[in-house]
Amino acid sequence: MPNAILDPTGRAADAAASSLSALAPRPADLTGLRVGLLDNTKHNALLFLREVGSLLVSEHGVAEVSIVETKANFSVPVDESIVARYARECDVVVIGVGDCGSCSAAAVADGINFERAGLPAAVVLTDAFLSTGRMMAEVQGAPDYEWITTRHPMASLTPDEVRTRAEGLLPQILGTLAKAAA
Amino acid sequence: MSVAELDADAAQLAVEHCYEQGWSDGLPLVPATRPLVDRFLAAAGRPADEVIGHMPQLDRSVTVELAAINAVMAGCLPEYFPVVLAAWEALMNERAAKGGGWQSTSGPAPLIIVNGPIRNELGFNSTGGVFGPGFRANATVARAIGLIVRNVFGVHPHELEQATQGLPGRWSICIGENEEESPWPPLAADRGVTGNAVTATLLRTCEYVDNRHTTDPELLLGDFADTIGRSGSLIFKHALVGVVLCPEHANLLAGAGYSRSDVAAWLAEHSGRTTGQLARAGKDHNDGAGVRFPGSGEPADDFQRTIAPGNEDRVLIAVAGSRNAGISMVVRYFADWSGNSVAIRAGEAS
Repeated sequence: MPNAILDPTGRAADAAASSLSALAPRPADLTGLRVGLLDNTKHNALLFLREVGSLLVSEHGVAEVSIVETKANFSVPVDESIVARYARECDVVVIGVGDCGSCSAAAVADGINFERAGLPAAVVLTDAFLSTGRMMAEVQGAPDYEWITTRHPMASLTPDEVRTRAEGLLPQILGTLAKAAA
Repeated sequence: MSVAELDADAAQLAVEHCYEQGWSDGLPLVPATRPLVDRFLAAAGRPADEVIGHMPQLDRSVTVELAAINAVMAGCLPEYFPVVLAAWEALMNERAAKGGGWQSTSGPAPLIIVNGPIRNELGFNSTGGVFGPGFRANATVARAIGLIVRNVFGVHPHELEQATQGLPGRWSICIGENEEESPWPPLAADRGVTGNAVTATLLRTCEYVDNRHTTDPELLLGDFADTIGRSGSLIFKHALVGVVLCPEHANLLAGAGYSRSDVAAWLAEHSGRTTGQLARAGKDHNDGAGVRFPGSGEPADDFQRTIAPGNEDRVLIAVAGSRNAGISMVVRYFADWSGNSVAIRAGEAS
């Protein structure tokens, strides 16, 4: 009887741990709601998010931008305490902008974590990181999780170009966070 | 067993099976079996289920046994396994290797430096061609680290690994320090770990400096500083860099009275570019968060140091290679270096 070849991954018996069965319930629209922003530290991300936040307030009836945080480690998804803080302080959250290898994967995991906590989330990644985002969604047990894709690169845009990018993506962000698209 | 009795056809089937599972870095693997893995575990003398690494963003953990399986597959001998474990621990001491470093667009390469008598006992190359191939211990210890990242963490190219280009020899840079021809104490001993030890960090790249006709130590150091100071991989305000000196360069410097830390201090002080030079690369200004951008009219003559003041102790100076020419390697860090070395501990004689 020959010796079996051993599996080097340690994941032969991996069960889909805690799969995401459904997204958080969506409000009909964003009128009077509070929006949270989660900045993943990448260049232009905070400017982009702030622009999205102010457009949501000025043009779409959002009450306020109630929480803005910059991640301590862009590679690692936010933990339960941060998710809980967002769940207390806002009604929907916008996350971005994934434009590197580990931060894009982590941003997708962040979106899934917020959805699991009942918070509608819109995640923005550039189109260079589709594969790593999809792989992370699979790792998180949510292989069909969707995010918003914008053209790469983001980091080298001028401030005006970032604002234009925010305006252009606003309909998709609204459509992701609420039932009634803009 | 004679060569005639070895079943090469069965071996080829087993190798192909490993490819089909997606376990390979591109080269053939040694299939891991229970008896062979048990010999590795005995050589290390550590519990098979001991957790030696965790990737929080994926919630995946490396155990001693999984490391052993991958070290087998890399082509290690059982007695190399304590070196693999020490190299892994040394890398886990590095901030960037604990987080997203393996997924980075930079595609960094671990630099693994081995000290102590174990270099000669196991056949680690520390002299000619030290950054190149040809020596089983150097090649397979480094490869084992790469296979652990690939298989246990599941960081595969085009998937969770997003290297834009990556480094040539990404999973192959393991060198012995040439203690016999170094004028200074062993690198790890200088960091407080005598005997058999591993020192490691992650590299963005390495690039050689060929200077074989200078006998003036400051001219030689100036050549290193010129390479260290170039703008190419500089994206933050400062960057950390080390040097793997060939014996000829190390002895020239030591003969002129330089200690290892003197060399580090000189390079830290003199490596850099003027603001005007950096402006020509669009990297003269940093935004306060530390990222470099095209500037805003700072004085062109200001000298901007590559290595931040106060970081002299994080400039790694090692000695390796042959004593046949003045050719040394600048090793450019991916992030930083902890400065910690790790002792290699073998298990009970197996």
